[in-house]
Amino acid sequence: MAEEENKMGYAPQTKETPDINMSFRLALTVVLLAATLSGCASFKEVRAFASLAANAVNDETLTRDYIGALDRRKQYQPSKFHSELEAQKLRRETQRASMDLLQQMMTDYMQSVGGLASGEIRTYDKSLGDLSASLNKATLLDSSEKEAVGAISAILSRAVTAAYRLHELQKLIGEGNQPLQDVINATRKIAKKGIVADLQVESNLVERYYDNFMFAPDNPAEPVAMALAREARVEALGRVDSGIRNIQSYDAVLEKIFEGHQYLYDHRDMIGSADFNRQLKSHSDELRTAYRNLLDISR
Amino acid sequence: MDKLTTDNTFELANQFRDAAAALRDWRMKNRAVLNRAQWDELDDREIVLLNIASSIYTDAVGLVLNDSQTALARLQSSVQSAKSAVQRIAIFKQALDLASALILLAGAVYSGNAAGIPAAILSLEEAADAIVNSEGSGA
Repeated sequence: MAEEENKMGYAPQTKETPDINMSFRLALTVVLLAATLSGCASFKEVRAFASLAANAVNDETLTRDYIGALDRRKQYQPSKFHSELEAQKLRRETQRASMDLLQQMMTDYMQSVGGLASGEIRTYDKSLGDLSASLNKATLLDSSEKEAVGAISAILSRAVTAAYRLHELQKLIGEGNQPLQDVINATRKIAKKGIVADLQVESNLVERYYDNFMFAPDNPAEPVAMALAREARVEALGRVDSGIRNIQSYDAVLEKIFEGHQYLYDHRDMIGSADFNRQLKSHSDELRTAYRNLLDISR
Repeated sequence: MDKLTTDNTFELANQFRDAAAALRDWRMKNRAVLNRAQWDELDDREIVLLNIASSIYTDAVGLVLNDSQTALARLQSSVQSAKSAVQRIAIFKQALDLASALILLAGAVYSGNAAGIPAAILSLEEAADAIVNSEGSGA
């Protein structure tokens, strides 16, 4: 047995620990191999995309504009319509929590992806610590071997963590893609078909309000008042238009998150590879551009 | 009756919003022949239509209106024809009748009064037909 092992290049066993060295070296080889393979996976781009998406998706102007629109419109309508606007506002207030929840869900999800990608997995770290301690207790090693175990425990931890994170990331993205896309679609529909279209109602109200000033029969065509009204009309319509562009920019952000996550989902088996990182970075760049555009308009 | 889909509900709101805009355009083009009372009356109706459109957007965000697809198709077609009719309005009374019919229909849809919708559609179709026919007869 000893001869065979020597032929294979193993060191002779001591009497006290006949099997430990062999087991230890085998384990070391496996661990190093695992560390080499799974430790190669880089989650940097996943982390960057998720972090950017979590920040970009959390835009409070969506609900603020949607509900605040009714108060703004009072100035453009006779007071006899104000109670109706108040009633509408109350109805929208009751929708606020649900709308906030859509955004919160997307934020939470992207933070989870980012958390896994950045290694913020405290519960698992604890179990890794227990595993490492158990390994030390369970093996009867000499001092140099214990040092070696100590040295590789960090590698082991990183390797197992990386493998665990990769597995959990793939699982999370695999299970999360469809519900995320559904939530994104719902939010985009509310933004585009609901809020933008409703802001176009506001444009109509503003236009007719200033038209009444300027063109109503029997109104005196007083040049200064006309000029002021024209100016105020342009300003008011500009505000509404800015609100519309803001929501459209938010929609563009959601579209980029949708596309980026779909790429993540479609290529989750390639996470960490150079090609994957390059492609995901391109999605992140597009998302960053869309987010910057949103921030520019929001200012 | 089948439920309105969310997309259908949004589209319905768009139709009311666009109809109000078309009425405003008519009012502006014909301001020379309108007196102040007529101008204000049409303006009030436009506001009502715009507020109803806004309400339907609110509904579409949170709810799905109850109605049948068949009724919806007719509903949308009616509102669409009303929009076209606005382009042909010749006199104030036609504008007022059409605006009133739109409001009646919008009220029935908005309140979920399914029983009232057919009558409201009929009223709208009559108003639109009257405009089209008067144009055809050279009125």
